[in-house]
Amino acid sequence: MDGLKAALVLFVAALLQLSVLTEYRTFRTASIVLVALLSIALLRGSVFGAVAGFMTGLLLDTATLGTLGITSLLLTLGGFWIGRYGETTARDRFHAPYVSVAVVTALYLFGQLVLQFMLGEPAPAGLVAHGVPGALLLNLILTLPVYALIRRLFPPLELGDRVREVRLLG
Amino acid sequence: MPRNRTVRLAVLGSSVQRAAPSGFPSSRSSAVKRRIIVGFLVLLSLVLITVSFRSSALDGVQGAGATVLRPFEVAADRIARPFADTIGWFRGLVDAKSENEKLRAQNEALRRQLILDEGAIQENVQLRKALNFVGPPSVADFAKVHTTVVANSQGALDESVVIGAGTSDGVQVGSVVVEPLGGPDGSGALIGTVDRAFAHESRVTLLTDSESAVTATDVTNPSVIGAVRRGGGSSDVLILDRVSKTPVVRIGDTIVTAGSLGAGPLKSKFPRGIAIGSVSSKSSSDTTLFQNIQLKPLVDFSSIQTVVVLVPKSR
Repeated sequence: MDGLKAALVLFVAALLQLSVLTEYRTFRTASIVLVALLSIALLRGSVFGAVAGFMTGLLLDTATLGTLGITSLLLTLGGFWIGRYGETTARDRFHAPYVSVAVVTALYLFGQLVLQFMLGEPAPAGLVAHGVPGALLLNLILTLPVYALIRRLFPPLELGDRVREVRLLG
Repeated sequence: MPRNRTVRLAVLGSSVQRAAPSGFPSSRSSAVKRRIIVGFLVLLSLVLITVSFRSSALDGVQGAGATVLRPFEVAADRIARPFADTIGWFRGLVDAKSENEKLRAQNEALRRQLILDEGAIQENVQLRKALNFVGPPSVADFAKVHTTVVANSQGALDESVVIGAGTSDGVQVGSVVVEPLGGPDGSGALIGTVDRAFAHESRVTLLTDSESAVTATDVTNPSVIGAVRRGGGSSDVLILDRVSKTPVVRIGDTIVTAGSLGAGPLKSKFPRGIAIGSVSSKSSSDTTLFQNIQLKPLVDFSSIQTVVVLVPKSR
């Protein structure tokens, strides 16, 4: 059930991203897909986050006719990493979604740059560095409503469901 | 209750049964499973990148996927359109008065120019006929495929848009794409070229991409020949590069595609006379061989809605 809900949420987010947000220059650097994915990963764990990231990346690459796999790779790693953070130290922390979005937004942009460079395509680092503050700000603004909505759709799991390796003494 | 009870005793002396310390089979298997899944997904992504980048083996699948997604994108766009129009209406209201005055003055100037131009056009047609002149291909030599933008460019690094016409409509890799109502006379302004063509969709690399360049000339001074490409920073600015210091370029001059007038041996794929932008600033220094000419594009590359693809008429 969670998988179906996540697929629907990320599909709608991708459509919003592709058809609405990118029409405005101001919002072009924002990524509602990234924010939604990280919110889901934070609430549902690393494996869920990685699989959701891979599928979302594939969807975006297909829709934009870009090189398949680039966005998948970045979102898989982002979803996995933030999922692990959610499973371990981020439990019940108010700042967790904001920290996750801020860190992954910057890493995602530079990750894209590195991949483009490795593929021999133009990789203007200055342009990306210039866009990072705007992207951070917009994504952090988006985090508030998006995380609230996703938290309603994906209520936090019980501790025992999330933590499988750490056993508490006593 | 003894007061000398330590934390160690509280834990070790507890009667509560703890899990066996000899490893956590379920935890270990969970960690291994997790690593296998993520490793597999990363590997699959790398395989996809390699195959997609090095060959066109996945193009069919990708094209089919894009075709399936297209109705959803169009639906999302239609739902969002009224909101976008409302925002645009309010934005337009802010500077409507000053823009109105400016446009009235421009309209008067253009009327006067039109009268002069019509005479020149008639004369040009007669002279071409008399001389049996065969010039470089122009926009009129191409068939036009009108289509909409399906997906805009994503992020700072991406300077491309996806359009809703493909090889089934005659679109090919390299086809020139213009904005239908751009340009000073409404005949179209250059947007870019098709770099990937699928059956029903194509990807257009915009002129603002750092790899795009087009040979261009000044309408009022055809001896000005240079290459238009992206400026250093913002995509709002293009530069007309490689223009020697001799020809005079004036601010406000319209720059159009030059056709095949470049110095290179290869023919330009752009027909002659497609408007690109107007000169917004120019300068030159003793240390450079060429003039520094900046252009203001005639197209707002951030909000392209409809485009025209120029395809060969022979099809």
